Amino acid sequence: MADRARRPGTDRLWPLLALPGTAWLALFFVAPMYVVLAILFGTVDPILRRPIPVWNPIQWDTTQFHFVLVHIYGADPFFRPALWRTVVYVGVASLLCLVIAYPVAYYTARFAGRWKGLLLAALIAPFWISYMMRMLAWVNLLQTNGLVNKTLSAGGVFDVNVSWLSGRSSTVVLGLVYGYVPYMILPLFAGLDRIPKATLEAARDLGASRFETFRRVTWPLSRQAVVVSVLVTTLPMLGDYFTNDLLSGSPETSMIGNLINNTVLTPGQTGQAGAFVLLILLASIVPMVIYLRAGRSGADVMS
Amino acid sequence: MAPTRRDIESSAATPFGPTLPRHKLSRRTLLKAAMAGMAAPGVATLLSACGGGGNGTGPTAGGETIPAPDNPVKWPLSEKNPIIESGQKIKPGSTLRLYNYADYLAPGVLKAFEKEFDVDITLSTFNDADEALTKVASGDLGFDVYFPSYDSLGRLIQADLLRPLNHDYIPNMSNVWPDYLNPWYDQGWQYSVPYTVYSTGIGWRTDMIEEDIAARDNPYDVFWDPQYRGKLAILDDFHTAMSMVLLRNGIEDVNTTNSDDIALMRDQLLELRDKTRPRVTISMYNDLPAGQYGLAQMWSGDAINAPYYLPKGQSPDVLRYWFPSDGKGMVDNDLMAVLAQGQNPVAAHQFINYMLDAKVAIKNFGFTGYQPPQKSVTAESLVADGLVPKNLATATVLQKFFDTAVPLLQLPATTDTEWHQIWQEFKAGG
Repeated sequence: MADRARRPGTDRLWPLLALPGTAWLALFFVAPMYVVLAILFGTVDPILRRPIPVWNPIQWDTTQFHFVLVHIYGADPFFRPALWRTVVYVGVASLLCLVIAYPVAYYTARFAGRWKGLLLAALIAPFWISYMMRMLAWVNLLQTNGLVNKTLSAGGVFDVNVSWLSGRSSTVVLGLVYGYVPYMILPLFAGLDRIPKATLEAARDLGASRFETFRRVTWPLSRQAVVVSVLVTTLPMLGDYFTNDLLSGSPETSMIGNLINNTVLTPGQTGQAGAFVLLILLASIVPMVIYLRAGRSGADVMS
Repeated sequence: MAPTRRDIESSAATPFGPTLPRHKLSRRTLLKAAMAGMAAPGVATLLSACGGGGNGTGPTAGGETIPAPDNPVKWPLSEKNPIIESGQKIKPGSTLRLYNYADYLAPGVLKAFEKEFDVDITLSTFNDADEALTKVASGDLGFDVYFPSYDSLGRLIQADLLRPLNHDYIPNMSNVWPDYLNPWYDQGWQYSVPYTVYSTGIGWRTDMIEEDIAARDNPYDVFWDPQYRGKLAILDDFHTAMSMVLLRNGIEDVNTTNSDDIALMRDQLLELRDKTRPRVTISMYNDLPAGQYGLAQMWSGDAINAPYYLPKGQSPDVLRYWFPSDGKGMVDNDLMAVLAQGQNPVAAHQFINYMLDAKVAIKNFGFTGYQPPQKSVTAESLVADGLVPKNLATATVLQKFFDTAVPLLQLPATTDTEWHQIWQEFKAGG
């Protein structure tokens, strides 16, 4: 009886605790998303061609959405190359980030010893300088008579005249890697740092080589951290346009972020930006689901 | 009883309310002033905008008033945003909010104005006119002074975003080239004063580009020349960049609605992208001196400004600027206008007047490189005074340029959409 009497109380407690989170989500995600939809399916004022949101879904006008879809799937798919570029750039950049970040995080977590604190501070340091400043610095370094070319030519010994900023895919990808690698190192470090040392020692005691220990113990235990850190970097990369604008500025390296930025600021096209935002959202829901599933199965292992 | 000139002028001097007879007056005035048939439906748009009934479902497309040299327009005075009264003083310690391109106002000039009139200036900047118009139209940013190009003036007025000027505050208008006392885009300068004049041409560095671009039969061809792939840039302004494609083909109507011309323009623009992979930007004044590329479609003001951004030790002799010698290129002027959304219209008027002062205008020019249309400033005086290096004398603007130049006009709505779509396709990359 007593049990039964208490249960409704706890039933109320948990939803109550979830309330702030739910309210936050409703206020800062669901509501803005609805505004995006209202603009995407809204109309345009005749003089300034500025978007006018339509709040009632029954009156929604699908012209803009249709325009975007037609130019992705239809006969004249001029948006498609930019979408492919986004996938390739973000994929390659994420992979490179992981290749760079994993050893760094691994070293910091396992072998840094008394330097751990200092190393961690150094890893956080990039966050103290704005992303824009760091990219602008690269513009200086990479320009034709900049420091990178001077270094490569070894002070004029070789004739190096690479125009890094002339709309090269490689520059954009490297810019993305440089910009987002700190965001990957930290969650990786957090994950690797939590692996109990005893497990590793046990593996070595049972005859596993260093490599076997890594393959059969460390890597499986860190997989969740890898998924998290890849997501944390990939999702913002999908919407990035700034890196591209600064380091290339050429249409030949446009990504979906650039498409959004261009349409949002063009009179009469603002609604189309909403369509691209929807696309990104749909594309990122898939990895989100993977993440949630990885989180669920990982939870047993981690605890 | 058609209104006489005097009626119109007297109505200009006093703020008036939304009474029906006045509607008729402004309607007739406009009909009289704007001779072309296009103006008639334009009035409907205008009135619905003035009446505050702009709920987005207004009149159908095509109903726009588009001023042009052969279709000068005298705009009716806004009813919603009355002219401010004469003789007011700036409130000390108040804030004046400006909205302009980056690096398009000398910081020293702003400081001097702040000191002289005891106001705080906040300057917000934009990258292109489309972006600016979108943000200004949102209305709640509270900017006092905006620096539009004349091709967006019509839209700003018809959307009722501007406050008509009280000429009593702007005596320095007498310093300006006389043509601007009655420009075709704003007869009787009711809403705008000219800020700068500039041409659009090609700028390059002789140390990075060996060829003499100006010596080509058609210098515009360089943008399609694969040997300059990755070494050049074009302006991130749909109308300016796309007009260059038309001019290359000898099409002087850079506001064309002809579908063949538009198709040709699209093909060549995409061809340009594939052949030379240009950067699309407006920061030529910084990028060209920094050596990010050696050749660019450029505004003359940016060419004049470029020497100040060269690295130390680099002589400005390497800079060149070409503008068509027959004068059939783009020559334009930017404006200053008072936004209705601003909270400090008195300071806005004072600021506009201040900028038209001959000395201030030259000081400002020294920073921006954009020539003010001042009577006291001539191409010769700029070179003689050392404000413009000799090798960039081609980048100065003469009053007579405007006689032969091709003006960039506001495009009719459907055409504008068509142009913008091509630009969108171009910028999406192939």
